[in-house]
Amino acid sequence: MRSDPPGNDPRTIWQNQPVEPSTMTLETIRRKARELHAKTRRELLGSIATPLAVVVFSALGAAIFNDPLQRIAFALALAWALAGQYFLHRGMWFATLPGDAALISGLEFYRREIERRRYLFHRVLRWSIGPVLLAIGALLLPIVTGGIEERGAFLKMIPFLSLLGIWIADVFVIRMRGQRELQREIEELNGLEKESRL
Amino acid sequence: MGGSESISTGEASQDHLYRDAADKYGSALERLARAYEVDPEKRRDLIQEIHFQLWRSFQRFDARCSTRTWVYRVAHHVAASHVLRERRTFSNLVNLEELETLPDKDQGQFAADKRINLERLSMLIQQLKPLDRQVIISYLEAMDAISIGEITGLSPANVAMRVNRIKNILARRFREGGGHAE
Repeated sequence: MRSDPPGNDPRTIWQNQPVEPSTMTLETIRRKARELHAKTRRELLGSIATPLAVVVFSALGAAIFNDPLQRIAFALALAWALAGQYFLHRGMWFATLPGDAALISGLEFYRREIERRRYLFHRVLRWSIGPVLLAIGALLLPIVTGGIEERGAFLKMIPFLSLLGIWIADVFVIRMRGQRELQREIEELNGLEKESRL
Repeated sequence: MGGSESISTGEASQDHLYRDAADKYGSALERLARAYEVDPEKRRDLIQEIHFQLWRSFQRFDARCSTRTWVYRVAHHVAASHVLRERRTFSNLVNLEELETLPDKDQGQFAADKRINLERLSMLIQQLKPLDRQVIISYLEAMDAISIGEITGLSPANVAMRVNRIKNILARRFREGGGHAE
């Protein structure tokens, strides 16, 4: 292959690009470490907002409604949301950070990250969205089991049910598409790993 | 007392390793961030994150690999995480094989303005999936196949094949009157 004139060589173009002088000092880095701890705490608090709402909603539902089946459903949603807090956060905040993973290659790290994201989605679905759906199901139970006399209530709930349908479509259709993409990416990386071992 | 002494010695060594790496590879890390993030604000955050994670990582540095490999691994890991976080979908990212078949909007013409060529090069890299980005960035930073293999985890043969593809793509896109990229 012929060599390019220096101005036409992508390597020269790349290496000679103007870069801003770094403003990172050790003090800035230590401040960032403190900010990271604060951010983790904030995220942890934010992540318990939905289960907390499910717990409050289910507790109120179990106290207010008299239908035994409905009360059982609310109690189950409450227990599920509480158990979810344990399972959802177990290990979540101790996930490997990029800086801890310098001993592994890019291929390995990238695959682990994608697998982690895929796994996290399933865990959120099971332990966070599951109780929400059960609590909503418990609320709607009289309409499902009540028959014709509850039809008026059903009509009143159409806007809410429509929003619920859109939300479920978002979770199960759009995000599932993302999951399939992640799976394809993992398969591609597995193939690359196999090729590299040969 | 001995404990606190060893902690402060460890911290000093961590700071020292970080300072050396930042001095030596600071510009390369800025270029690497440009290849992963187009938005200047987000890029600044990404660079800060890379420096922070690099500093953290030196707590565990045990010289099993060279400092350069270590620095690039950390930087690429942080940047790949950034891409995964920012882009919730992979559908608009391609691998090298797919990039070869994509039409070149600029018809392979070399612009007189170096800034435009740099933008075109950056845009081309940003279309790639993270692993291929690692290979092309390492190639542009003039690394050999073995070093690229250490960073990416690909075999030298696989790296050589990818580098060859990269050369062909770059030659096609940065052609000037039939000239080829090295």
